[in-house]
Amino acid sequence: MRYITIALSKGRLTELSIDLLEGAGIDCTELKGNSRKLILSDEKNKIRFFLAKPADVPVYVEYGAADIGIVGKDTLLEEGRDLYEVLDLGFAKCRMCVAGPKELEGKMDSISITRVATKYPEVARMYFRHKRRESVEIIKLSGSVELAPLVGLSEVIVDLVETGRTLKENGLVVLDTICDVSARMVVNRVSMKMENQRITKLIEDIRKQL
Amino acid sequence: MKRWNIYTPEGVQDILFESCRQKRLLEDKIRRTFRLNGYREIETPTIEFYDVFSENGLIKQESMYKFCDSKGRLLALRPDLTVPVARIAATKLKDEVFPIKCCYIGNTFSFDELGGGRQNEFTQAGCELLGINSPEADAEIIAMAIEALKATGIEDFKIDIGQVGFFKGLMEESGLNENEIEEVREFIDQKNLVGVEQVMDRHKVKSSLKKIILDLPRLFGSKDILQRINYDDIGKGAAEALLNIKAVLEILEDRNLAEYVSIDLGMVQSMNYYTGIVFRGYTHGVGFPVLSGGRYDRLVAMFGRDLEATGFSLGINMVLMALERQKKLVPEKREGVLITYDIGARRLASDYCRQLIAQDIPAELDILNKGIEESREYAISRGFSRIVHVDSDGTKKEIIL
Repeated sequence: MRYITIALSKGRLTELSIDLLEGAGIDCTELKGNSRKLILSDEKNKIRFFLAKPADVPVYVEYGAADIGIVGKDTLLEEGRDLYEVLDLGFAKCRMCVAGPKELEGKMDSISITRVATKYPEVARMYFRHKRRESVEIIKLSGSVELAPLVGLSEVIVDLVETGRTLKENGLVVLDTICDVSARMVVNRVSMKMENQRITKLIEDIRKQL
Repeated sequence: MKRWNIYTPEGVQDILFESCRQKRLLEDKIRRTFRLNGYREIETPTIEFYDVFSENGLIKQESMYKFCDSKGRLLALRPDLTVPVARIAATKLKDEVFPIKCCYIGNTFSFDELGGGRQNEFTQAGCELLGINSPEADAEIIAMAIEALKATGIEDFKIDIGQVGFFKGLMEESGLNENEIEEVREFIDQKNLVGVEQVMDRHKVKSSLKKIILDLPRLFGSKDILQRINYDDIGKGAAEALLNIKAVLEILEDRNLAEYVSIDLGMVQSMNYYTGIVFRGYTHGVGFPVLSGGRYDRLVAMFGRDLEATGFSLGINMVLMALERQKKLVPEKREGVLITYDIGARRLASDYCRQLIAQDIPAELDILNKGIEESREYAISRGFSRIVHVDSDGTKKEIIL
C-alpha cells in the first residue's frame, strides 16, 4: 500500500486538524509529540503527515507532494491553486472584508477607491476587478494592515475579520464582506482518482464528526 | 546593464545526454504505437498567426507568446497542437477519406503556471480522429490513449471519462442564468459540495434535479455510479450524454480495456472547445494529468469546414517524470567499443571501427591517444563495454570493462 500524505497548516489550525484526524481513527501520537522530525507517520494506516506554512499547503497539494491538505479558505483564495476542495471543516471561522474609515460607510458605490492595502493581494485584485469592476493599486503588506488607512497609505484595506475588535478600536468599519472563511480540506486532483477509495473513506470519516 | 546571456528564460530547459536519450526513447515508442494503430504523423509550424488561437476566446491571450511578422501581423508560438490540426483539416485535408487519423509529437509554448512537471515549453504527443461522431470513434480514441500510455511503460494508470453534455443538459433543465451556471461549474470542478449547495439554495429547482446537481461532485468512480441516476429526472440533453458514456464504455469493455477506465460526471473543466466525451489520464508520482482529450465537434468549423473530431494529447515531460518517480526509467546498458591503436595501425583501427558501426555496434576511435589509463577513464564514463587495442601488425587485444 502506498502512503497517503497529509499537509497540515502550522499555527492556529494545527490542533483542531489533529483532533479531526484522530476522530477518523488515525494515530497522531507522533504528530503531538515534541519530535523534530519533519515527516511523521501512522504506519498502520500508511499515512504520513507534515506541517507547513499555511500558504505552502495548497502548493504541496497541487503538485501532488501531499495528497491531502488542511488549510484556511483565505489561503486557498489567495493562492488560487487547482485543487479539489472537498470539505468545509467549519472551524477557524471569520470573514474576508473590505474595511476603511467610518466616513466611507455606505458610500462604497459613490467613491472611487484608488489604493488598497492588504496581506491578500490576489483576493483584493479579484474582488475589485470582478465584483466592483475597478482598477485599483494594490499595496501588499505583511501585517497590521489596519495601520494603512490611518497613516494615509491607502483608502481601504482587505483583511480577515474575526470579531472586528481591532477595526473598531482604530475607528475602522467593515465596508463590504467579500466571503466567509473557514478551514477546508483539499485533495490533489490526481490522488483523488488514483486513491479514490482510501481518500473518500477518510473524507467520510471526517465529515461524520462535523 | 544586466547580462542574461548565461541564463535560459523561465520555464524552458536544456535537456542533456541521459534525459535527452530517455525522452527520444519515449517519443520513439509512442510514435511507433501511433503509427501501428493507423495514425499518420504530421508536422505543423511552431509559429502561427495569433488569430488561429484567439478566435472566440479559444485560448486566453495572456497564456500565449506573441510577436509580429515583417508586415506587423500578430504571431503566436503554438500553445496547443489540436487547433493547428483543426486548421489543417478544414483547409487542406478535403480529399481525405474518413476517418482521418493523424498524430504529432511537437513542442508547445504557454505562459501558464510552472512547477510539478509543468514548463512553458513542453512536448506533446497526440492523436486526432476526424470525420466521425459516434461512440465507436470516441472509444477508438480512448483506446489509442490507453495504448499510448501502455507503450510508455507506465503500468498503473487510469483514464477518467466525462461528458460535457451531462452538465450542460442539467443546467438547461435548471433554468439558471449564465453567471450562475459558471459559478456552479467552478464549484463542481473543485468538488466543493458546500459551494454547489449555496448556489442551488438560492434557486427554485425541481427537487429531483437539484439532488443530482448537488450530488455531481460525488459522481465519480466506477461505472456503477451511472446506475445512481434516474433518467426521468435529468432532461433530454443530460440523458443523451449518459447514454453516450454507456455506449462508449460498452465498446471499451469489448476491446478489453475496461480495467483502465473510470468515470467522472463532474468533469467540467473549462476547455471551451470540447463538445462531448472528455477524458484525462492519471498515474502515480505526478500531481497533474499526464494526458487529456475529448470530442471537439465545432472547432474545425471555426476554420470553415463542418467536421466532427476527437483527439487527445499526452504530456511527454509529465510521463517522463512519472516514469522517473516510479523507477521505470531503464538506464543505458554498457555497450560499444573504444578502439585504441598504435600510430602505425590507424588505418586498420579505422576500418575496424567502421565495421562495428555497420553492425550497429557503437564504436569510437580513441583520438585522445594518451595511453591506456586515460582511455579507460573515458571509456567508462561514456558507458563502453570494452576497449580494443589494435597493434601495428593488426592483432587486437581486448579489455572488458
